[in-house]
Amino acid sequence: MKPVLKQMRFVTIALLVALAIGILALGPRSGTSVPSDRVVVDYWEKWTGQEEKQMRAIVDDFNQTVGAEKKIYVNYVSTSNITQKTLVACAAGVPPDVAGLWSRNLIQFALVGALEPLEDMARAYGITEETYKPICWKTCSFDGHLYALVSTPAAVALIYNKKLFAQSATELRAAGLDPDRAPRTLDELDAYARVLTKLDERGRFIVAGYLPTEPGWYLDQTHLWFGGSFWDAGSKRFTLTDERVVKAYEWVQSYSTRYGKQATSDFRSGAGHYDSPQNPFLAGKVAMVLQGPWMANVIYKAKPGMSTMQWSREVEMTKPLAERLTNYEWAAAPFPSAVQGFEDVSYCSLDVLVIPKLARHKKEAMEFIAYVNRQDVMEKLCKSHCKNTPLAKVSEDFLTQHPNPYIDVFERLLSSENCQSDPQMPILPQTYAEIVNIAQRLTLQQTTAGPALAEAQKTLQAKFDAYESLRAARGK
Amino acid sequence: MVGLAFVSPWLVGFLLFTLLPVVLSFYYSLCDYSLLEGPLYRGADNYRELMRDAVFWKAMGNTIYYAGISLPLGMIVALGVALLLNSKIRGLSIYRTIVFLPSLVPAVASAMLWSWLFNSKLGLINFLLLKLGVSDPPGWLTDVRWAMPALILMSVWGVGNTVVIYLAGLQDVPRELYEAADLDGASTLRKIWHVTLPCISPVIFFNLIMGIIGSLQVFGVPYIMTGGGPARSTYFFTMYLYDNAFVYLKMGYASAMAWVQLLIVLALTGLAFWSSKRWVHHQGK
Repeated sequence: MKPVLKQMRFVTIALLVALAIGILALGPRSGTSVPSDRVVVDYWEKWTGQEEKQMRAIVDDFNQTVGAEKKIYVNYVSTSNITQKTLVACAAGVPPDVAGLWSRNLIQFALVGALEPLEDMARAYGITEETYKPICWKTCSFDGHLYALVSTPAAVALIYNKKLFAQSATELRAAGLDPDRAPRTLDELDAYARVLTKLDERGRFIVAGYLPTEPGWYLDQTHLWFGGSFWDAGSKRFTLTDERVVKAYEWVQSYSTRYGKQATSDFRSGAGHYDSPQNPFLAGKVAMVLQGPWMANVIYKAKPGMSTMQWSREVEMTKPLAERLTNYEWAAAPFPSAVQGFEDVSYCSLDVLVIPKLARHKKEAMEFIAYVNRQDVMEKLCKSHCKNTPLAKVSEDFLTQHPNPYIDVFERLLSSENCQSDPQMPILPQTYAEIVNIAQRLTLQQTTAGPALAEAQKTLQAKFDAYESLRAARGK
Repeated sequence: MVGLAFVSPWLVGFLLFTLLPVVLSFYYSLCDYSLLEGPLYRGADNYRELMRDAVFWKAMGNTIYYAGISLPLGMIVALGVALLLNSKIRGLSIYRTIVFLPSLVPAVASAMLWSWLFNSKLGLINFLLLKLGVSDPPGWLTDVRWAMPALILMSVWGVGNTVVIYLAGLQDVPRELYEAADLDGASTLRKIWHVTLPCISPVIFFNLIMGIIGSLQVFGVPYIMTGGGPARSTYFFTMYLYDNAFVYLKMGYASAMAWVQLLIVLALTGLAFWSSKRWVHHQGK
């Protein structure tokens, strides 16, 4: 190698080493400094992005107020795969003090004794059954114990595109349907979907009125709108062959039968991420979806024009609620039920806060959880996440100043006696995996609902019975 | 003693972090074990249950399908590319860099990238197919017939590592053998068949072994791109293993699956070693 090249190589390496040392010595440092006189509560939470930022604001508020007073410091740790990591941390005996799980994980964790019962500690803070909406309390309780308190809850509803309804107003009226309101029965929903659906010459969707697979997040809950349940807690038997459950999944399949499996799967394949302008609902490619209240935030972020038809958000918030609704190209209503008189049906999912059994600072962890459950704090958090509040008491401000102007619809649903959450049974993840697989096979026309559900009934019941015999062998 | 002292960091690491987990996983495979409760011995129940588990067989079938096509395809494509890159052409180092670059892309990034490429409406692949006159291009990741071929196709994209190993082997083929073949009037194909392939057979063998292990353990990319769907058509063995361990909290069952997987890999590797006597030629022997 020439001497000049040798020198250049030496200089380059020296510069890189100097840069690395410089970054190490002078580079960015963690922004948080924990006061030495505080008990540090490790809080693992699943949220990232905006949701993380909003929860961090709550944590910061706590640290500056109650935390400062009671010498507690909550350390928020954004954690992907929270369920798996919490599980492994619990098994290793070094869990966080607070973990933000999903309500559907609760039973699995509770059954193996990984969670601290919270009822006594909650009562000390005045948090009792009466504090919560019934479904929220019921979901957090199992086997006579309270295993979690809610951070943010949500009920799901029908969200529909008013503009697409208006564009098909003549055809809707011709079909005897009112273009100025949402469907009120499942038959009506099918009728609206038929009129609103526009196909190209190849039979592919230009606009889909409704598709159960779009976005398909709640396919495993379809039976709820048919008055069915796949699990009988009393007899500990699966009821997947119940007529109402079978009907529900026949209905799911009816859409792919009507429009063809190719068109239906093509539609999903062409869909962009839900949090982007390519979300088919935002792109005006699907007129009605089953979604949660957070869609208001998604729409506002990804396609603000749909939520600022007349005024900016700031101006809109100064208007009365009835006037605010005119600012939106979309609206929300209860997802219609297949059973006459069975109204305000919904599915409720919760983000929950738990204290693992082996947490080191349970008392301090509860202090934080109780703070989150204060009405003002909870409403602030739930508004920023664009979700319901789990609390029975709801302020006027929450309803009128919520970023989702239809939050009253979601609140009515979450308070409804026909709002259900996940069945409290131990093999829930396997069950949902099986049901989602069945729904996909139905959409692909690989099977029919009756036989597929009968097969799943047999498989899942065997799995549950095996689980029960193992529990018995463990003396539980 | 001095030797043991020097080797002890590795030895302790191996015993604690490899051998002990392997032994424990075998014990757990004979137990009901959720990670949060102590293991409960139940003999061969997990293995018996596996044999009756339809999802296990589905995942096994998918994995064999994937490995059976992606492994030979990847090896052939990598060898072909390596042969091309072994010729004396201008800008060779640039081509070599281009071929190797995909190997540097993190798995998650490449999965996201290919998800967009395979998007049936907005994806570049279907856009090109439409331009080429294909009126009804496939729904790559949502059609049960196309999801697996799409993943296999994508696996070929990452053959850069294998190409580099082949290239190193090709550089070692003695020139005099080619010269002798030239004197005998051998064509290019004859030279590849009778000189190149036998000379690089140890490299092919190495890539085969690594390929068997890698393709039977496929997990990350399909997990991100399809999540095992549609209708479990891309649900692989390791996905089911992961679900059992960390979603269903059946660590004992997952351990049994891991041992079945190990036995399959061992059997296939053993078969490859046994057959290698017939087709792997080591220089100097």
